[in-house]
Amino acid sequence: MTFETGDRVRVLPAQKPGHVRTPGYLKGKAGWIESVIGAFPNPEELAYGLSGLPERPLYRVGFRQIDLWDDYRGPAEDYLYADIYEHWLEPER
Amino acid sequence: MSDHTHEERGSTTSPYAARIRAIEALLLEKGVLTEPEVQDSISYMEARSPANGAKLVARAWVDEDFKELLLSDGKAAASELGMDPEHPAEFMVVENTPEVHNLIVCTLCSCYPRAILGRPPDWYKSFAYRSRAVREPRAVMREFGFEPPEGVEVVVHDSTADVRYMVLPMLPPGTEGMDEEELAHLVTRDSLVGVNVPRSPVRAR
Amino acid sequence: MGGSPGGRIDRGQHEVEDWERLADAINGALGAKGLQSTDQHRRAIESLAEYRDLSYYERWVAATEKLLVEKGVLTSDEIDERAAEIDRRWNGP
Repeated sequence: MTFETGDRVRVLPAQKPGHVRTPGYLKGKAGWIESVIGAFPNPEELAYGLSGLPERPLYRVGFRQIDLWDDYRGPAEDYLYADIYEHWLEPER
Repeated sequence: MSDHTHEERGSTTSPYAARIRAIEALLLEKGVLTEPEVQDSISYMEARSPANGAKLVARAWVDEDFKELLLSDGKAAASELGMDPEHPAEFMVVENTPEVHNLIVCTLCSCYPRAILGRPPDWYKSFAYRSRAVREPRAVMREFGFEPPEGVEVVVHDSTADVRYMVLPMLPPGTEGMDEEELAHLVTRDSLVGVNVPRSPVRAR
Repeated sequence: MGGSPGGRIDRGQHEVEDWERLADAINGALGAKGLQSTDQHRRAIESLAEYRDLSYYERWVAATEKLLVEKGVLTSDEIDERAAEIDRRWNGP
């Protein structure tokens, strides 16, 4: 596992063909690691009948809503969690 | 021809109705699936409903140890109450508190804790809910008639991987003296997703 | 999908029809036997050109068909033929 709870991370802005479980609205956004969920076979490969191995670390990543949406209508304290695989994350300074 | 589902045209107008029956017939003929396997799969879903979620919540409301288990290992808690969450996906229960209100969505495809709660409601699967819940959760909840009190943070969970989420709502006021079964009746499916909160005893009676 | 504009949420609930229950069951049974996986099914749904025009269970059926054809278990022709037979039985010649 590269990341730990509390680490600041950014979701890669990459465009990747095929089955992807990183939603578009999170790409390029910065947040924090809320928890390490575990390691699982990569769904992007399972989707095509491949083994998905080696397993990839999966994290619960938190984002402030005001960082996700320019027009967010709610307090700055509102946030969102999504479960993101490690290969979609990079450290955020 | 299989007789475990009624072969009536009924009111359906979807061309996919005939298509799935054709697929079933062909798979049975070719021995890819057997009748018992299909029947088991039908029974599996029929056995699951929001009542399971209500039971989990009611137990957590009266038993602090169970609540701790529910929040730390959802599948173990469900198993303890005789629910059979055989699906391999993780099941995580998130707690509403006086500071935090949770809302569950799956923007990518409408994932839902089916192994516990059964089929999701139509609105949960709609493009409108999937698009808006992440961006304007408070407006969505307002449509369902719920506004979190002043100072409460709204936290949205987008189930993007194989963890399925359910909300543990707060115990409504005025429930003193109610037993577990009565408490379970207050827990609506909508409150398990987070678009609303449970009924209050005054309104439910 | 997440974050796209969306209209009012329709809170109506249709009665689940028997064919929809069957779509669920076939999907579950195939999954239980390891003949298809959730990830494969999701990928097949996402790849449907008619995605936005189909209902939830219509997408399921189309995706299940796609996977069965992909895996060489069934052909679209034989499904067409059998579906037409079933339709005739329901609606008359």
